[in-house]
Amino acid sequence: MTRRRRVERLLGVAAVAAAAVAGWLGLVVAPPDAVQGQAQRLLYVHVPAAWVAYVAFAWVLIASVGYLIRRDLAWDRRAQAGAELGVGLTALTIVLGSLWARPIWGVWWTWDARLVTTVVLLLSYVGYAGVRGLSTDPHRNARRAAAVGILAFVNVPVVHFSVLWWRTLHQPPTVLQPASPPMDPAMLTALFGGIVAFSLAGMWVGLRRVRMLASAAPVAAAAPTRSEPIRVEAGGRR
Amino acid sequence: MTASTVTLEASSSATQRRPRRTRQAWMVARRDLAAGVGGRRAAVAVLPLVAAVLLLAGLGFGAHPVVVEATAAPLVWLVVLLSAVPLARTVAADDAADDCWDLLRAVVDPTALLAGKLAAQWLLLTAAWAVASLLTAVSQGVTWPLSSVAGGILGALGLAAVTTMLGALLLSDQGHGSSLLAVLVLPVGLPALLAGGQLAVSGVSPTPWLAVLVAYDTVLLAVAWAVFPVMVEGS
Repeated sequence: MTRRRRVERLLGVAAVAAAAVAGWLGLVVAPPDAVQGQAQRLLYVHVPAAWVAYVAFAWVLIASVGYLIRRDLAWDRRAQAGAELGVGLTALTIVLGSLWARPIWGVWWTWDARLVTTVVLLLSYVGYAGVRGLSTDPHRNARRAAAVGILAFVNVPVVHFSVLWWRTLHQPPTVLQPASPPMDPAMLTALFGGIVAFSLAGMWVGLRRVRMLASAAPVAAAAPTRSEPIRVEAGGRR
Repeated sequence: MTASTVTLEASSSATQRRPRRTRQAWMVARRDLAAGVGGRRAAVAVLPLVAAVLLLAGLGFGAHPVVVEATAAPLVWLVVLLSAVPLARTVAADDAADDCWDLLRAVVDPTALLAGKLAAQWLLLTAAWAVASLLTAVSQGVTWPLSSVAGGILGALGLAAVTTMLGALLLSDQGHGSSLLAVLVLPVGLPALLAGGQLAVSGVSPTPWLAVLVAYDTVLLAVAWAVFPVMVEGS
């Protein structure tokens, strides 16, 4: 077994263990919310999913820049894995938020700035996935995807700050604020447990996906030389 | 102006030395504007779209002053975003159709090519915003604050960077790639829609929204400057 596979397996075991602990913390240790009741427990999954999605999109940005600098398809595969993870977790965040909103807000969906900007962010990365299938040349696909992966990140700060820029129904940041979080310690522990579990699971899924993409690549495509466009000599002759 | 004219000017001036970047950028921008406005490609694609969306929105919302007041500013920016999609198609498609894209890449420095294309897109998008604002003001009786002009200019600049990059990016895939433009351009234009819309609302403090647009423009121009040369490589 290679070192990489061992790390992957270790991460998988750690993710399962962390998920078990997070489940116990969220379902047993943390008390029900005084106002929201049991529905509040959904946030122990909703918030970690959103945070890890942000991290995944930041990873897409880093890997895209990495590809443009190194022209190595390994960076492109890392970016693709990050984008797929981010899209999946963003979709999960929206679905869980909707499930929570129905009993608490009384609606499945509302035109709230955080909700709308999150869906727009999801659409950006769906477009990123679409760009990948345009060419049979993996380097051309990677080049395009890298550009879109960098551009799409523009919306991440907009999503994060949307609850501060507008007076929204969605609550402002509870944990990432200057003062200590106004939460019961048991609830805060459950939330951090969820974040750890999701982070480990995200890394595990990302590593596995990168390995699958590498094994699916038919032939190692040669890195393109920085091809110059056709040169026109004086007098218009090539 | 045709590609051959550009090539001729590029090769003949200063005894076959490349013209300076600013002159190259100016020539590219002039050529794109000539093709877009003089050749009516961009004008035909954008102006009827702007008019149609505003008319249909006016009809759909009905004659309710409260609704019009609340929706006029974002509606203008929605129209500008929608215009950005056909405009992005004109970035390099005209050059490709004239078989002069390779020539342009050969004789024009990539940074100058970006600057020229971006300047043309900026002007066209600003024109789309101005027409949409004017039509909305006339048809809906809306008065725009002065800050909306700054919003129009700054928002169009960031959007121009997006359309220039994506237009060059999807050049050789006019079929499937072209249909992806909407899903790529519209989400990345979100900050322009939000900040531009807020800057056109009377009574809203313009400073934070101008800061958002300046940051948006700075990021997108930096990304365009870094990425565009890679995009035109072998496109």
